[in-house]
This record gives sequence, structure tokens and C-alpha cells, in this order.
Amino acid sequence: MTIQEQYKTRVRELLSSGTVKMVIGYKAGTTADRRRPLFIRTPEEADQLLLDSACIANLSGYLIAEGLLSDEKRVGIFLKPDGIRTINILAAEAQLNIEQIIVLGFDITGQEVTALQGETAGDFSALIESIKEGAPEALKNPLIDQLEQLNPKERFAYWQAEFSRCIKCYACRQACPMCYCRRCIVDCNQPQWVNTSSHTLGNFEWNIVRAFHLSGRCVGCGNCDRACPVNIPLRLINARMAQEVLGSFDHLAGMSDTQEPVLASFKKDDSETFIL
Amino acid sequence: MTRILLSDKLDNCVARWRKAGLTVIGPVKKETFSSYAVVEKAAEFDLGLVLPDRSIKGLFFPQTEPMLEYTIKKQAIDTKDFAPPSDKRIIFGARPCDASGLAIDDPLFGWDYKDEYWFQRRNETVIVSIACTRADDFCMCTSLKLAPDSTKGSDVLLRPLQNNKGWLVQELTDRGREAFSQIADLLQEGSEPAAPTVVVAEKFNLDACVAWLQNPANFDSSFWKEISMRCIGCASCTFLCPTCHCFDFQDEGDTYSGIRRKNWDSCSFALFTMHTSGHNPRATQSARWRQRIMHKFNYFPGKFSVNSCSGCGRCSRQCPVDMGITETLQAISTLKP
Ligand code: SF4
Ligand code: SF4
Ligand code: SF4
Ligand code: SF4
Repeated sequence: MTIQEQYKTRVRELLSSGTVKMVIGYKAGTTADRRRPLFIRTPEEADQLLLDSACIANLSGYLIAEGLLSDEKRVGIFLKPDGIRTINILAAEAQLNIEQIIVLGFDITGQEVTALQGETAGDFSALIESIKEGAPEALKNPLIDQLEQLNPKERFAYWQAEFSRCIKCYACRQACPMCYCRRCIVDCNQPQWVNTSSHTLGNFEWNIVRAFHLSGRCVGCGNCDRACPVNIPLRLINARMAQEVLGSFDHLAGMSDTQEPVLASFKKDDSETFIL
Repeated sequence: MTRILLSDKLDNCVARWRKAGLTVIGPVKKETFSSYAVVEKAAEFDLGLVLPDRSIKGLFFPQTEPMLEYTIKKQAIDTKDFAPPSDKRIIFGARPCDASGLAIDDPLFGWDYKDEYWFQRRNETVIVSIACTRADDFCMCTSLKLAPDSTKGSDVLLRPLQNNKGWLVQELTDRGREAFSQIADLLQEGSEPAAPTVVVAEKFNLDACVAWLQNPANFDSSFWKEISMRCIGCASCTFLCPTCHCFDFQDEGDTYSGIRRKNWDSCSFALFTMHTSGHNPRATQSARWRQRIMHKFNYFPGKFSVNSCSGCGRCSRQCPVDMGITETLQAISTLKP
């Protein structure tokens, strides 16, 4: 039996036994290489389920859709390791009760999809923790190294050119499961903290705000990068900030559901004399 | 016999137009992204693109535009208007769906108030479209009763020659005739046949969709929630759309001085309809998606007798969750009115 068929069976069981009220997975999209998010509420709907190497989107943002988990019922969701890290963070930041999430874990290497054994996020902790060891290597990117070689002025010019295309659609924010604020700082207009205009300054402001708010929280799922309609290489910013946080604080986001947020926690005996 | 523009003369044309003071713009692909951009030489054009990632809209209705500057002094308030900038332009190689999009928005920008920013740019820009011989899975002009060789919104339509060496010239407006009179000696007479335009299959029955949308009972249909459950409200569809035209005014600066700007806005955002009280009449993403569809295919045609969609397919092509107008209208056309 293929992995896809195994998981279809599991989804049908989860739904018919009443273990979960819904499973969030993938189905076919408009073209052969596209996948769509799928919300499965009956065992029959599981027929549409698809699981292959094109199922790369991190679906965990849907879990915190208003009201979904408020009835305390369980929801199943297809997650890769980056998605499991995401729900760990969401739990650590008190956005969801991780007990309510049944994880249908899988991983993709090249064209191959493998099943991950486990049912709740905690079951995958060994695997998740092992990601940290490989992180310095995994976060490497030749383009980041190239940019590091530039002097600050040249690097600024590079990003200025990239951000000049930004249209401030905020697709990067909407696509990110970690951007869950009810009212994003850029939408606060009493006072207007951040310019809404999509000019050079405004585009910089937005992209810097985004980079900082995701530092130490981003799991590198790539949702933002893929969503950006003008193809700004947001992955470079995310990976560079993750390197920084790993190097400075020995912190990789999403290792457990009790991990302290690195830039949002405070210790009385902190060696620094100020907080940001 | 018709007039022909040969590709190898295009660079001369660009030079001629530039010499005549026109800014020359056309489809340009830079690494991973394409748009209509200013060029100096014909070699910079990428005329093989199905269509640029970014629509033509921003050239007429920029994503941010200064309207006025204010300074508040002790006894007086000084204001300075930013007049629409004057720039005579020619856009070479527009796609017919993009050109149509501009014509669709003309009545909107000229309705109760004539938007001088839009119309100055419209009047100063010559649009030379090229009929499409290629399409992708998302193109759907024919579903909107347009075509790969629509003349709507264009000043000149070019049809690629079968031998791929140039284009048949069809001048449509005085603006187009004037721009082409400047390159008259670079054109030649010929009887080469034009390449067939691409066949774009009709994806849905527009009339059936419109009938369903016009039935007030369907406003509260559970269909809206089902079809838009995966929408993440990212606004890419509206910002890339050549016909979406919503904007917001913002004052940037402080109490004493600043600039008032007109910025793109989107019905996909919760903030778009948020009241000061905190109440939001379009509280859910499904209500926002319904608004987008209703506006394009019910309210807009009700007012201006034309659908607010030219079928370019960008909304579906770029949607991070693979939604879009096409899927929704395909689904609606199977419903009972
Ligand atoms: S910032 Fe981008 S890569 Fe990081 S978690 Fe959010 S969507 Fe994923
Ligand atoms: S998705 Fe891209 S264009 Fe949109 S706001 Fe983010 S960086 Fe800018
Ligand atoms: S592009 Fe897709 S996800 Fe984004 S607002 Fe439009 S329909 Fe929703
Ligand atoms: S609604 Fe979609 S297909 Fe229609 S004009 Fe806008 S982006 Fe193009």
C-alpha cells in the first residue's frame, strides 16, 4: 500500500471513530504540480486526499482560524517536521492546545515521501530535536554567503532593489502560520506606527518589521517566500535571522511546546542592561 | 496588402519613439520576475512571455501616489497639490487582457469624479498590444467574452506573422495612428499571413454565473464559505489584477506637516471594512471573497455594463492556495440559479 493509501485509511478511521472532527490535508490543484489545502470532515471526503512530494505548504496556520479549536474537539493535520515545529511554537505561545492536534506526520526527500511515526507533537520530539544538530548546515545558503561578502552599502543596495518590487500585499504575513496577530502592527492606525505606502521607506519598514517579528520563531517552511507575488527572496532573510539566533542564543524555534520564546522572554539575571 | 512591422526594425522604432520624447515601456523579465518596464533598446523586451507577472495597472494607477503636501503653521495651513506627472509613453507588447483591463476601469475612474491622475496617464499613453499565440492553463479571456486578439483598450493591435518575422499592424485610434506615423518609413507593405491566435477554451458559462449572482437568495448561500475556506486573505489576487482598483488615503507625517497619499487597498483585508467601533460588516474571509466576486460580476456590470475582469488569470496563477476567479465561477456555473 502506498503512503497515500495508508494515510487515507487512517484519516477515514480518525473521522469515523469520532477521534477528530476534521483533517486538514492536500488535494490536487489546477495544474499537475499544484496542491490545494483540503478540509476533510467525512470519511468519504478522504477520497480526494493526495500526498506526494508536491505537498510542501505548511498547513498549520489553518489550525488557529477563529473558532476552529474553541469547541475543544480534536483536529488532524498533515505536517512535515517544519509543521510540527510550528505547532510547538503556537502551543508555546498559547495560541493552541497541542492536545487537540493529531499529527499525520510525513517528510519529503527529493521525490520520495516517507511516513513519520507518531500521533501527537510530543511523539516526534526525538526527530525534532535532532534537527537542531543539523541546523547550522541546513541553514547554509550560498547566496547568503555571497551577500555576507558585500560591504553594508552594497548589501543595502541589494535589498533596496529587491524591496523596490514589494507591493505591500502582505501575502508573506498572511501565508505565515506565525503571523497570527489579530491586529498586525502595520494595521494599527491610532497612531499609524508603520507607513502603509508601498514606497522605498514603507517597503523597508514592513520587511524589517516582518524579519524581526519572525526572528527566533520562523521555522523556514517557505510559505511566505512562495506566496510573495513579486518573488522577493524572503527565505534568505529568514535563514540569516535563524543563523543569528542560533549562534547568539543557541536557540532553534519549535523544539518543544514549552520552549521559551527567545526574543520575548525576560530573565531578571540577564547580563544585558536593556531590553528591546 | 497590409502594413507590416518587421522584428528587426523594432530597435529603430524604439529609438525613434524615444527621440520623439516618448518613454518606451514593454514586457521585461528580470531573473525571477516579469513586469512592464521602461526600456532603452528593443532587446530588453521579452515578447515571448505569456504575460508579465505584474499587470499593466500600476503604470496608470501606481501602488502609492502623492496627492498633496500640507504644512500647518501658527496662523495658516499651506497645501501644495501634486499634479499628475506629465510623461508621454508608449507601451509596446501589452497583452490584450491587460489593455482591456484599462478600458474596463475607464468608466469607474470617470464616473462621479474624473480622476485626473488616471486620465492624464491614459491620454498620454499609447498602447500597442500583441495578439496572443500562446496561453497557459490560467488564461481565460474567452470566458469573459474577450479574445486573444481583443482590440479593447488598445491603440494599435499587432498580429504576429506566421513566419515569426514581425507583425501585421492594425491601427485603432488616433493616438495609435500618430505614434505609428513616426515610424511610417520603418513599416512595409506585405501580404504575409498572420499566425493563428491561440485557442483558449471557455472555462465557464458567464451568463449562468451572472444569473446566479443576481439572485438575492444566493447572497447568503453556504457556497461562499465552502469555496473560500482556504483563502488566507493575502490580497495578491487583487493587487495583481489589472481591473481591481480600490484605494485608501493616508496622511504620512505628523500634525504639522506631511503628505497625503493614495495607496492600493484590497477587499481581501479585514481592515478594509473595519469600522471605528470595531464592528466589521465583512467579518469573515468568505464575506470578503463574496464581495470580490459580487463586485466584479454583479455590482460593477450593474453600474457600468461591463464585468470587472478581463480574464488574464493572474488571480488564479499567483494564489498561494490555488484559488481564484476561475474555480469559483466554474463552481457557480454548475449551481441552480
Ligand atoms: S516567516 Fe516564512 S518561512 Fe518562516 S515560518 Fe513564517 S511563512 Fe514559514
Ligand atoms: S508578499 Fe512580497 S510583495 Fe507582498 S508584502 Fe510581502 S514582500 Fe511585499
Ligand atoms: S490570492 Fe488566493 S489566498 Fe490570497 S486573497 Fe486571493 S484568493 Fe485569497
Ligand atoms: S479577476 Fe483575475 S482573471 Fe480577472 S482580470 Fe483580475 S486577475 Fe485577471
